[in-house]
Amino acid sequence: MSEREKLALLEDMLELDEGELSAEMKLEDVLQFDSMARLSLIVLFEDEFGKKIVGKDIDGFDTIGDILAKMEE
Amino acid sequence: MYNLVNLKDKTILITGASSGIGQAIAELLDKLEARVILVARREDKLREVLDGLNNQSSCYYVADLSKLDGIEELIKGIIAEQGALDGFVHSAGIGSSRPLKTIKPNILQEVMSINFSSFVEICRCISIKKRYAESGCSIVGISSIASCQGNASKTAYSASKAAMDAAVRCMAKELSVKGFRVNTVMPGWIETAIYEQHMQNTKGSADVEAVRARQYLGVGKPVDVATLVAFLLSDAARLITGASLDVTGGGA
Ligand SMILES: NC(=O)c1ccc[n+]([C@@H]2O[C@H](COP(=O)([O-])OP(=O)(O)OC[C@H]3O[C@@H](n4cnc5c(N)ncnc54)[C@H](OP(=O)(O)O)[C@@H]3O)[C@@H](O)[C@H]2O)c1
Repeated sequence: MSEREKLALLEDMLELDEGELSAEMKLEDVLQFDSMARLSLIVLFEDEFGKKIVGKDIDGFDTIGDILAKMEE
Repeated sequence: MYNLVNLKDKTILITGASSGIGQAIAELLDKLEARVILVARREDKLREVLDGLNNQSSCYYVADLSKLDGIEELIKGIIAEQGALDGFVHSAGIGSSRPLKTIKPNILQEVMSINFSSFVEICRCISIKKRYAESGCSIVGISSIASCQGNASKTAYSASKAAMDAAVRCMAKELSVKGFRVNTVMPGWIETAIYEQHMQNTKGSADVEAVRARQYLGVGKPVDVATLVAFLLSDAARLITGASLDVTGGGA
């Protein structure tokens, strides 16, 4: 999956327009990244990548790029 | 000495007995001298729980209850080997938290299967003559106070528990002629793995904090649920059926 495709998954999850997210963006600057988004991210990893992440993993993400890297692991 | 909750030598089937609330129920019933039959998927955990019990005739069966078609054979086998049941507690369940847009039919079915359908299927299988004790049988489902609340991300979970509450009201009436009592217990927040995980995952949620703050006696311990379950299993609760009782520290 390309970086753009992964970003599109996150944009879709956060109901943002295409191209609104970039790898460099800090999570704290993404306004939509609230507790529902945390749950959505856990579910996205499970449904799209068959991976189990937990709240602690999310606490360790600083930028959108960190999430993309975790998708690749 | 007078013992209000007398479960001596009663045979009680407990699903979800490998951890959390189900484990606490097994341990409390063991102290009350009941014989418990533990069911869950993780054999190592079941063995650990069994090793901690006093009653030498207690035992465990490894089973994945989300495989509904296998339940009848399982229950038949258990009863053939262990005898008729005096009680059944369904604590097996998953604490699904998913935003609505991710609850596709297969997910909804997965949550309903383990939290609700397996409960009804076990009730069906044990409600047949000779599978329950002649003196009757008490069934307790572990529901959740979530069944009465509207919380974000809890559509599948809350619906599965509300379905359980509705089912016990009907089964209580239908099975009363056979000497069954059928109830649910609705815990609020109880300190178990499900709780820890949910708090971590939803960190910062005002919604979750509000629910927790409303539970003004604090977060419960698994034994707080187990004590009510023991009471409902005993003859002391002989007039209680078709009920859903909360253990929520004020949060209901
Ligand atoms: N903790 C709370 O705050 C809370 C509040 C309200 C209601 N509840 C309810 O209480 C019940 C027990 O939860 P808990 O808090 O004690 O969590 P838990 O420790 O995760 O217990 C869940 C139990 O269900 C078993 N289980 C799950 N899926 C199963 C399957 N497919 N087949 C057989 N067994 C299965 C698990 O065993 P294996 O993994 O070994 O199979 C485990 O023993 C659940 O129904 C939950 O919804 C909990």
